[in-house]
Amino acid sequence: ATLREIETRLKSIKNIEKITNTMKVVASTRMGRAQRAMASSRAFREGDSDFFATAETSTPETAEKTLIIAVSSDKGLCGSIHSQIAKATRAKLQETPNADVVTIGDKIKAQMLRTHSSNVVLSFNGVGKEAPTFWEASLIADEIRKLGDYDKIEVMYNKFVSGVAFEPSVFPSFSPISIEESPKLSEFELEEDQAIPTSLSQISLTNAILNAMAEGYASEISARRNAMDNASKNAGEMINKYSILYNRTRQAVITNELVDIITGASSLD
Amino acid sequence: MFRQSLRSIARTRTGTIGVRTYAEAVNPDVLKVSLVAPHQAIFTNKEVSQVNLPASSGEMGVLANHVPTVEELAPGVVEVIESSGTASKYFVSGGFASILPGSKLSISTVEAHPLDAFSSENIKSLLAEAQKNASSADETVAAEAAIEIEVLEALQAAVH
Repeated sequence: ATLREIETRLKSIKNIEKITNTMKVVASTRMGRAQRAMASSRAFREGDSDFFATAETSTPETAEKTLIIAVSSDKGLCGSIHSQIAKATRAKLQETPNADVVTIGDKIKAQMLRTHSSNVVLSFNGVGKEAPTFWEASLIADEIRKLGDYDKIEVMYNKFVSGVAFEPSVFPSFSPISIEESPKLSEFELEEDQAIPTSLSQISLTNAILNAMAEGYASEISARRNAMDNASKNAGEMINKYSILYNRTRQAVITNELVDIITGASSLD
Repeated sequence: MFRQSLRSIARTRTGTIGVRTYAEAVNPDVLKVSLVAPHQAIFTNKEVSQVNLPASSGEMGVLANHVPTVEELAPGVVEVIESSGTASKYFVSGGFASILPGSKLSISTVEAHPLDAFSSENIKSLLAEAQKNASSADETVAAEAAIEIEVLEALQAAVH
């Protein structure tokens, strides 16, 4: 390559490094807030998951209508976050080919439409730019409830394990019928007229979506930070390589010119 | 021979450990309360003596060893009385309180704030606006205003 070509290449890599580095810094500053949102939504969910654990509520083994809610987001450049969820959702769809799918986030929507376009019944976008709020989760849950009753609802999300790890996981959401059929429900004294199972099932769906979005957000931010950190490192390596190549080529050009001048001068003697 | 005896020891050990359950590990005579909103956990497993709840079926006081139940909460004041006798009041916008075996009470609500954080003038002006909207022709606006009035009236009663 000529000297000019190497120079432009080097400049563009330097610019890319600046961008990835900035994205990394932005992700790092958001990390704290994302983790706080996740911790509080986890604590919030514990309220009803404790109840379900005590009542031993479980989803029916054979469900006629299954709904899978796949939670991810709109933005890329964060490693394998979206494809992991898509993979997990596809694995679920292998077991229950007739299940309906609701996608939250453009990336997961695009991936699901490619392979299972007939299963996708509803999709949301515009979420996941900031830490999720209860308001967003309840709007989504309201829309999902309009789809009708499902025997079994599963929320797929990226569970935040640590700053460097996440894993696709499932939150079950229970229908009023499965709450009523819980084997240990008799431990609780519920008042008949209040329709507790129905309202509990609604709040647990909202809760599951909120918690899934908060975990997914935290996983995405940390994955983006790691991806951008790696990208900056790789860019740094390339900058070093190209700087050496640039200097060598420059030296070679100068040496060539010197050789030309000296041979020219010596031929005059 | 040696390995076999080791295995039998291991088996008896796990047997005795298995008897110890979670419910025995906690003291059931102290009420443990968690008050959580989606954005903030105000209490997590705090040991208190009594909690008063605004259940939709009426006000209720919860002490330790309460029978397990789930109550839907109306907008109102949750009063947490600590063992030292100091009481703290929080206004909640409705939600659920589940009382679990082992004297554990978890209250999940959408919004919860200390009672002295509210300004009575603001409540008054918001209430006036909501009452105006309640007679709106648009059904959604009217329904939203009806909910607002329910919450604001409970709040007004609590602040005074």
